[in-house]
Amino acid sequence: MALPSKFSFSFSKFPEGGLLLAIVVLGILLAVFGGSVQLPKFQNNAQGKPERVFETKPDGQKVPAFETVNKFFNPRTLIQIAKDTSFFAIMAVGMTVVIITAGIDLSVGATYALASVCGALVLTQYGSSGGIGAVILGVLVTIGVGVLCGFVNGAMITAFNVHPFIITLGTMAIYRGIAFVQTNGQSIGGFPEAFRNFVRQEFNGLSLVPLIVMIVVMIIGGIFLSKMAIGRKVYAIGGNETASRYSGIRVGSVKVLVYAISGLTAGIAAVLSLGYYGAGSSGDGSGYELNVIAAAVVGGASLVGGKGTALGALLGAVILQMISNGLVILNIPQNYSQIVIGLVVIAAVLFDQFNAWLANRRLLAKTSRIKKEVIESSDTPVSITPQTK
Amino acid sequence: MIRKLGLTVTSLLGLAAATGFAADKTYTFGVIAKSNNNPVFQAAKTGAEDEAAKLSKEKGVTIKIDWRTPNEEDPQKQADAVEQLVNAGANGIAISASDANKLTDAIDKAVDSGVPVVMFDSDAPKSKRLAIFGTDDIDCGQKVMSELAKEMGGKGVIAILAGNQNAPNLQKRVQGVKDEAKKYPDIKILDSYYHKETPQDAAAKVEQVMQAHPEITGWAMVGGWPLFTDNAIKFAPGTVKVVAVDALPAELGYLRSGHVQVLLAQQVYEWGSKSVDMLYDKVADNKNPPSTFVKGELIPITKDNVDEFAKNWEKWLPKK
Repeated sequence: MALPSKFSFSFSKFPEGGLLLAIVVLGILLAVFGGSVQLPKFQNNAQGKPERVFETKPDGQKVPAFETVNKFFNPRTLIQIAKDTSFFAIMAVGMTVVIITAGIDLSVGATYALASVCGALVLTQYGSSGGIGAVILGVLVTIGVGVLCGFVNGAMITAFNVHPFIITLGTMAIYRGIAFVQTNGQSIGGFPEAFRNFVRQEFNGLSLVPLIVMIVVMIIGGIFLSKMAIGRKVYAIGGNETASRYSGIRVGSVKVLVYAISGLTAGIAAVLSLGYYGAGSSGDGSGYELNVIAAAVVGGASLVGGKGTALGALLGAVILQMISNGLVILNIPQNYSQIVIGLVVIAAVLFDQFNAWLANRRLLAKTSRIKKEVIESSDTPVSITPQTK
Repeated sequence: MIRKLGLTVTSLLGLAAATGFAADKTYTFGVIAKSNNNPVFQAAKTGAEDEAAKLSKEKGVTIKIDWRTPNEEDPQKQADAVEQLVNAGANGIAISASDANKLTDAIDKAVDSGVPVVMFDSDAPKSKRLAIFGTDDIDCGQKVMSELAKEMGGKGVIAILAGNQNAPNLQKRVQGVKDEAKKYPDIKILDSYYHKETPQDAAAKVEQVMQAHPEITGWAMVGGWPLFTDNAIKFAPGTVKVVAVDALPAELGYLRSGHVQVLLAQQVYEWGSKSVDMLYDKVADNKNPPSTFVKGELIPITKDNVDEFAKNWEKWLPKK
C-alpha cells in the first residue's frame, strides 16, 4: 500500500515531477518545431471589446495588420489548450479519487450529458434575458444532477456489492438514455446571457474562467486527498479494503462519497460546457470516460488502487491535450492522434511500473545491507523481512 | 536610353517581385465535417483536396486543406477545432455542424477575427457564416415522391421512412413527400415511421411495418439508413418499390439486386470542392457567394447508371 507519507519536496517523493518534466519537454519541442504563424492584430476599443487593428499603406489604403507569433508559445494557444483541457481535467480529478479506491466510473461521460441536459432544460426556460436567480438555479440543478448520478452509482456498488465496472457500465447507458428521452436527441440552447457572458468572459482576449475553475477543483481535490482524514481513508481502502474495514473505516460510506465526488466533477464540467458552448444534448461527452480515465492513469493513478493525486490528474490531462493540439500545431494529420495518445497511455504506465520496480529494488538492497550490518555487529541472528512498496 | 533601361529593369524587378509574391501566397482552409466514420465526409474531404490542388495550379498559389473532423460526431470538439484553426492562422473554415447551437459562438468568433466561414451539408443559420452549400430538403422530399410515383405508375399505398422525429431537415423532407403526393390522387400515404437512425433500428422498423401492412407497395425513404446494412430488405425484388436518399457504397447493392429502384445522391464530393471555391473567392478576391443558400442538386442513380456512379466512390474514398 502506498500511503503517501508527509509531503516532502525531494524530487523522488514528488511523483508529479516526471509529469512536469514531460510537459516542459513537450512544450519546448512544440515551440521549436511548431514554427511561427501570422495572426491578425487586435486591440481593445473604448468599450473594452477587442477589435482588428488596421494600418494605412502609403497609397492611403487601409489593410488589416498582422503579427508573427510562435505557433505554440503564444498566449492564445496556451489558453486554448488550458480551456480544452479543463473539461477533462476536472472530471479526471473526480475519477482519480474513484481510482484510488480501486474503483472505476465508466458513467462519467453519460453523467456529464445528463447533467448538462437537465441544466439546459432549466436554463432555457428563462431564455436569454434570465437573471442571476435563473443562473444560480441552472447551475445548482446541473451540479445536483451530477452528484445524484454519482451517489446512485456509489449506493448501488455498495448495496449490491457488485464490481463498479458493471454498475457504471449499466448506468452509463441508463443516464444517457434518460438524457435522450428528455430531449428526443435534440440540442437545447438559448440560455441567460448573464450565464454565457460569465463563463465566456475574456481578459485581454483570453477565456480564463474554465482554467480558473480547473485549478480550483484541483486544489480542493488535493486538499481533500492529502490533508483531510477522509482522504487518507480513500487511500487506505484502495491499498487494502479488508484491512481498512477491520481498522474501523466505514468502507461503504467512503465509496458512496467517492462516486458522488466523481459525479460532482462531471456536473462542474457540464456547467462550464453549457456556459462556454451554449447548448446541451444527450450526445454530449460520448466516449469522454475513456479520455478521463486515460488522463488519470497518465497522471499516475493506479487502477489497482492506493495511488494517485489531484495534481497528477490535471497534469495527465494537460499532457494528453498538448499531444492532441500539438499534432495540429505540427501539421501532423489528426488521424494519428489516437495512435499517439494510446502509446502515451501505455508508456506512462510502463514508466510508472519501472519506477516502482526501481524503488522496490533500492529498498530491497537497503534492507539486505542493514540485515548484513546487523548480523555482522551481533552474535544472535536477526530476521528482517523486506517491506514492499 | 538610360531612362528606358532603368524603366525596363524596374518593370522586370516588379514582375519578378509580383511572381515571387504570387508563388509565395499560401492559403490554409480548415475543413470540419461531422465525423470521420461516415463515407460521405470522406468524399467531401477528397473533394476539398482535389479542388485545392486544382485552384493552386490554376491561380499559381498554394492552397492547403487542414482536415479537423472528429472521429465520432462531437459538436464540442468541432467548436474547439474552429478555435484551434483560428489560432493556427487558417485563412478560412468550412464546417458541417453537428449541433448549430454549440457552433454558433465559435463561428462568430472566427468571423470576427477575420476568418470567413462557410457551411456545407448542415447549417448554423444564426451564425455569421458566409453561406451554406447543401440540399434543399423540401425539394429533396418532393423528388423522392415524384421518382416513386413514376416507378409505381401513379398508384398504390406508400409508407414514409423518416428518422429522428425532431430533426428539422428530415421533417422538411417528409413535408416535401406529402406535398408532392397530393399530385397523385391514386397514391395513398399510410404513415411516416420514425426510428433511432441506426441501420439496425431502421431495418427492423421497415420489417415491422411490412408485416403489419402487407398492402404497402412503395417506400419513400428520406434517408438511406436501412440500406447501410446487408440483407435489410426481406421482400422479393420489385414487389415493393423503394426510392431512398443518398447513394453510399453499401446502398448500391440494393439497386443492382432490384430491391431499390432509385437512389438520390447528394453532391457529397462537392460539399468539399464547392466550400473551397467559396472560401477562395472570399479570401483572394473578396467575392461573396451569390446567396447565403447555395443549392446542391440531387442526382438520381438507377440500375442503369449504378456501375458508372460506383466508380466515383473508388476515387472519393481513401485507398486501402
